[in-house]
This record gives sequence, structure tokens and C-alpha cells, in this order.
Amino acid sequence: MSDAPPGDVSDDAARRIAWAARGMPVLSSIQEGLTARGALNGLRIGIGLVLEPKTANLALALQHAGAQVSVHCRGRLTTEGVARALEAAGLQVYAERAATQERDAELARGFFQTRPDILLDDGAELIRLAHREHPDLVEDMLGAAEETTSGVQALRVMHEQGVLKIPVIAVSDSRIKHLFDNVYGTGQSCVMALLDITNLQLAGRLVMVVGYGWVGQGVARHAAALGARVIVSEIDAVKALQALHDGHRVQSLSDAAPDVEIVFAATGVAGAVTRAQVERMQDGVILCTAGGGAFELPMGYLNALGTATEVRPSVTEYATPAGKTVLVIGQGDCLNCSDAEGNPIEVMDLSLSLQAFAAEGIATEGRNRPPGIYPVSPQIETAVAQARLRHEGATLETLTEELFAAMHSW
Amino acid sequence: MSLSLPGPTPAAVGTAKIEWVRRRSPVLDGFVRERLGDGALDGVTIAVVVHLEAKTAFLATVLADAGADVVVAGSNPRTTRQDVVEALKERGITVVAAADGDYESWHQEMLAAADYGPTYIVDDGAELTLRMARHRPELFARLKGVSEETTTGTARLQATAETGKLPFPAMTANNARCKHLFDNVYGTGQTGIQAMLRLTNRQIAGTHLVVVGYGFVGRGTARYARALGAHTYVIETDPVRALEAHMDGHTVGSPADVLPTAEMVFTATGGVRAIGEEDLALLRHDVVLANVGHSDLEIDVEALRRAATSIVHPREAVETFRLGDRDVHLLSSGALVNIAGGSGHPVEIMDLSFAVQAVGTHYLATHELRPGVHVIPEELDNAIAVAKLRSLGISLTQTRANQKEDVKEMMDGSHHDE
Repeated sequence: MSDAPPGDVSDDAARRIAWAARGMPVLSSIQEGLTARGALNGLRIGIGLVLEPKTANLALALQHAGAQVSVHCRGRLTTEGVARALEAAGLQVYAERAATQERDAELARGFFQTRPDILLDDGAELIRLAHREHPDLVEDMLGAAEETTSGVQALRVMHEQGVLKIPVIAVSDSRIKHLFDNVYGTGQSCVMALLDITNLQLAGRLVMVVGYGWVGQGVARHAAALGARVIVSEIDAVKALQALHDGHRVQSLSDAAPDVEIVFAATGVAGAVTRAQVERMQDGVILCTAGGGAFELPMGYLNALGTATEVRPSVTEYATPAGKTVLVIGQGDCLNCSDAEGNPIEVMDLSLSLQAFAAEGIATEGRNRPPGIYPVSPQIETAVAQARLRHEGATLETLTEELFAAMHSW
Repeated sequence: MSLSLPGPTPAAVGTAKIEWVRRRSPVLDGFVRERLGDGALDGVTIAVVVHLEAKTAFLATVLADAGADVVVAGSNPRTTRQDVVEALKERGITVVAAADGDYESWHQEMLAAADYGPTYIVDDGAELTLRMARHRPELFARLKGVSEETTTGTARLQATAETGKLPFPAMTANNARCKHLFDNVYGTGQTGIQAMLRLTNRQIAGTHLVVVGYGFVGRGTARYARALGAHTYVIETDPVRALEAHMDGHTVGSPADVLPTAEMVFTATGGVRAIGEEDLALLRHDVVLANVGHSDLEIDVEALRRAATSIVHPREAVETFRLGDRDVHLLSSGALVNIAGGSGHPVEIMDLSFAVQAVGTHYLATHELRPGVHVIPEELDNAIAVAKLRSLGISLTQTRANQKEDVKEMMDGSHHDE
């Protein structure tokens, strides 16, 4: 990536990790408690989150609490300097920015050789991989926590089919996660990444958001705030109605395809945007993915055209047989993570604090829980919210006896 | 991803960036090319002195394609992009700027541009014009006109004209509606916020954000910030603008009122020391300061340096000054954050602004104007907007004949007599 010696890279990364720590008051405030209670002491925790300065702070907090931490992340989502900085801090790191697909698989195998007791996962990639290729490890595992909505979705399917062998805490189901991380974090950072990468203006543009889940809502809200005219495409009638009430146009992607200038796929579902739809789009249309991954876009069709050209950093242009061009940002990967710095620090403070509490919860109770999907407890949600509010100088109303009585009368 | 493959040359990267701009600049690439195609600029030397990145480079190529002899320099030492410089040189356009300069090398670049003896200048902040007046008076006397980009430069030219020292006409692109209504509000507004978030990786929703100055740039910044969920505060000295900011829903107050809770501060006054030495005591721990005004002196960086017990660089383009028990972060050393710390204005915005500049320069070359500050005629301003709308497939309606009659009656009061 750079001519600088590795020492300099991780030194720069160490400064960026410290910068992120400034915006993570909740994680920093719970770290001492985690350490004092000692539940994580001596446990092996494997982290599969996007490897960048914020998740590095979680890894370091868990290490501080006595855990032996190992980290794996695909090359595309790894910040090289951060990986090396964590290595220098004594963590076992199985992630390389320049890794090919084969190398990533090799690194994942090395990661599992650390025999993690607990997995903190993103997209349920490691949990699925462990179930497929390391069933012996899964037998010994205490449990896992999953960061994303799409990952939890896959885990639910596994559980319904009776193949999930461990208890998993669904971090993304927590209000503290999806109300903030998905809406404000991914929403802000995906829209901003698109603008940083393309140098385009959003005011007046026709932007299609495919999917109106939490991420879709966040993308639509931030795009509209910046002056875009937003069209939402949904399969769920209630969510579509919600989009309409939020001030967006609602139209199927098939109907709107010829008009749209920028498409954000925000479904977390493979094949959400089809070849047939892309073929009907205008010359120069921009496609990208927010929250999910390249599987949402017809990358197979585009790559098979054999016309890919990188027209500026992170922008690939495909010429179609019809003589039009299609621009794809960040190879179709979730663009804020693959081609920008991920979510903003403050929302990751919330999400990663939940992950830290989840790890502790699994450490203390994982043995006693049958396989399944478990929520983050309301007590933890309240503790995280209060810590953040305290930092912001916000105050809460007191629940008086009178109010309590009023709320419990009929 | 292989590291052994040689990458594209800087000139090729710059050329690709310029082509990206061309394809999204329908006004410059269509309407302006047609208008400049009458040969009026043939062999005329034009100095283009604007932040030297891909959009400016495209303007330079449009002028060169119209026959002008173009010499290009940057309007700020921190904003010149070397790949773009290389691409322009490869096209045979004269460039007297290089990236990573300082104020001294930049000053020399400006003098080098002056020494080409331009007939016209496309200027930014009147940087070259005023330098020529001071350092190259004989060449200054031969200038036939200047087209100026910014509010700050316009004010400088007006001040010069008032003292009788502007012997030629100056077109202020800034006062055209197609410039300040879009460039300053949507261009700087969007990209200033963008640069702040990119350089810091911070979240904007819920942030206490102060904008100093409520001109077009200040209102654009405040508008975008609030739309993205910030709590916005405005500091103004002009009572009417302060009242506007209040009516726009921002909280207006003095520095002592609003700085102590500010987490992000943008200066947008176009002046100097908008955040001065006396304000430093008001700043809270971990505040981030950024400038979106023309001058690098809006934040008193020297005062910060004097007051700091330590200065560290936690991230690219971020400096942290230790003031007692507080840390104050400064972006891009106080230079225009959207240009020095980002990729500048959006392409579409500069298509409009540079159309005004190109049309203004052409107007200077084809009309006898008296010395002083001028604006392009309204019909040209409108023609640029029409060209942009047409590129978007948007058509306008026209006042119907009977409406015109009614309006006329209303104006002369005759409908009251019935």
C-alpha cells in the first residue's frame, strides 16, 4: 500500500486508534467494569468484525479485560496498519489487506486454530464457516454475538433447520444497534462515501434506495437531507407506506429503472438488483451497496461483459452491449466499509459496547443456554444509552411514584 | 491487487479525472464551447488562477480549445494536485504550479504567471490581480480585464476600484446568480461538511455545530449540517443576517453563548480571525475547527500555536493543539477544508461557476466596458441556467399573454378602477 516501513504504518494506525477512542466514551466507561468482574479472564475471543480503528478499540478493551483475542477479517475490509498495530499490541491477527480469496480462506483456517470460545461476528460469516468446516470447535464454543441484520437472518434460518449449535446474541436486534448504527451510521457514511469517491453533487439527483429496512431508511434520510429526490423500492407494503410518509416516492426498481441516476442497494439480500433492471437504466448510472454486499448487485453479469475499466479510484465502469455505461462503486461491496472509513466513531461506540457486554453475557451464561438466537438484555441497553446520554450532558425525567401509578392504572 | 504491476502515470490519472469532469459538465462542454467558438479568444493570453484540480483543469482546456493561450496556476499552495498538473502539461497547456508548495513557492508561481503578460485573468480571491498591481505594475497596466470567482476577491476588487486603482473592467462571477446561489450554498455547503466527516470519521447527527458568518457559504453549511441532524448555531455581526439565521431555525448567539458547547466549528466569514485569540478560552475539549471561507486566516492558527503546550497529528490533515486540559483539533491547517482536505466542489456546481467565468471572460473580450466591477448581463446568467436545465431534460413554462396583461394592470393599478 505504501513505501513507508511497516513500523510507520502501524504507528499511524495507532494514532488513528487513539483518535477513535476519543469518540468512544461508552466503551471506555464500561472497560473497567468488564475487567473488574473478570468474566472474560482467560477466555479466547475471536473477532470477525470489519478491521479498522473502532473495532480495534473493542479488541483492545477485551484484551484489557483479560481475554486472549484473535482477529480475522477479509482483505477487502481490512485496514492494513490497524491489523499490524493490533499484532504489535499482542493480539493474534489473521487479516491482510492484500489477501486474495485463497489467502483469506487460509487466514480464516489459522484463525480457527486459536480455538475461540466466543465469536463476535459480522454477517455471520465466521459462525457459518465454523459450523461447516470446524464442527469440533463449535461443540466446545460458549456462543457468539452477531452484529448485522442480514447475519441474524441467516442464523435464524440455521436455527429453524436445527443446525445452529450455539447460543448467539443478536446485537443488531437491539434498539441501541439498529436505531443508530444502521440509520445514522451506515446512512451517513455510505452517502458521504459516494460523494467523496465521485465528487458529485446530490442536490436535485434522482436516487433509488432499494429496501427500506433500517439501513435503507438511513440512506434515504441522509440522501434527502442533502437535496436528493429519493425513490424507495420495497417488497413489503407496510415499509413502502412508511417510506411514503417519510416523504419519499415509492416505485418498484423495475418501474423506475430508466429514470434513476444513483442506486443504493440496501436489502442485504442476494440478487436484489437484477441484470434486466440494470439493462434498462440510463447511461452513466451509478450502482453501490449500503450495509450488505456485492451479492445484491448483478456483478456476475457485469464482470462477464469483460469491459471493466477503473475510471477513478474505487469506480469501475462497465460498457454494456447496448452502448451504455454502468458505474459500480467499490466493486459492489458495502461502500462505507470497503472504500471509506466505515461507520462514524460515535455509533460504533454504541454497537461495540453492546458487543463487549454480549461477550460478557456469553462468558457467564453461554454454557447454560441451548442453541438459539437471544436478545441483548434491556438492562444492558439502558446502561449503554445512559452512558452515552451522560457524556452528552443530557438529562432524563425521573419516574415518580405518581407517574408509575398512572402508568399502571386502568 | 498485485503490487508488482506498474500503476498508471500521474498524467494518466489526471487525464482520467479531467474526463470524469467533462462528462458531468454539460454546460461547459456544450453551451460554453459554442459561445466561445467565435474566435474572439484566438491567441489571447488568459491566466487561470483557481484551485488547481480537475474541474479547473477542464475549464483551462475549454479556454485553450477556444484558441486562447492559457497559463495555469493555483490559487492556494495547499490545493494544487500534481496529477492534474501533469495531465495539463501533457496536453500542451502551460502550468506554472506544483503540488506541495508553500506560500513562498506559490508567490513565485503567481509571479511566473504574471510574467506571461496575460490579457485576461480568471482569478480566485483576486490573488493574481492584486499581486500584479503590486509586483508587476507595467504588466498590470496592460491587463484588459479580470473575471473573479469569489466573494472575497470581489470585495478586494471593489475596494481597489473605489480608490481609483483598477484601470480595467472586472467581471465578478460571484455576483452572477448561477454562481453564488449554487456554488457557495450547495457546493461549499455539501463539501465542507463532507470533508469534516471524512477527515474525522465523526458522526454529525446530534452534534453541536457552530457556523461563524451567515453569508451564502455560511447558510449553505448551516443548512446541510441541520439537514443531517446537527444542532446548528450561528455567530454573526450583521443584524439582518443574524435575524435571517434565527428565522431559518438556527440558534444565534455571541461566541461566549455558543462556543463553549460547540463540538464542530466552521468559519465562513470571508474575513480574518473569525476564531481569534480571545475565542480560544471559550472552546470546549475535543472541538474540531474547520474553515470554509476563502482566507486561510479565518482561524487564527498562529494564536493556536502560541497558546498550545503541545501539537500532535492524530490523523491525516488533523492537528491537535493542547490548551491547558483541553484538546482543540484543526483541519487542513485552517485552509479551505473542502478543497485542501477533500476533492473540492462537486463537479456539477463548478460546471455552473466556471460557465460564468468563461462567459464572463468572453464578454470582456468582446465588449468595451468601463473600468470597475461588472456582472455578466442577466440574459447570459439565465442562458447558463437554461443550458443546465436542458441537460437535465427540464423545460420551463412561459408567462401566458393574458397573464402578462393582468400583471400590467395590477402594476399600474388600473384593475382597482373597475
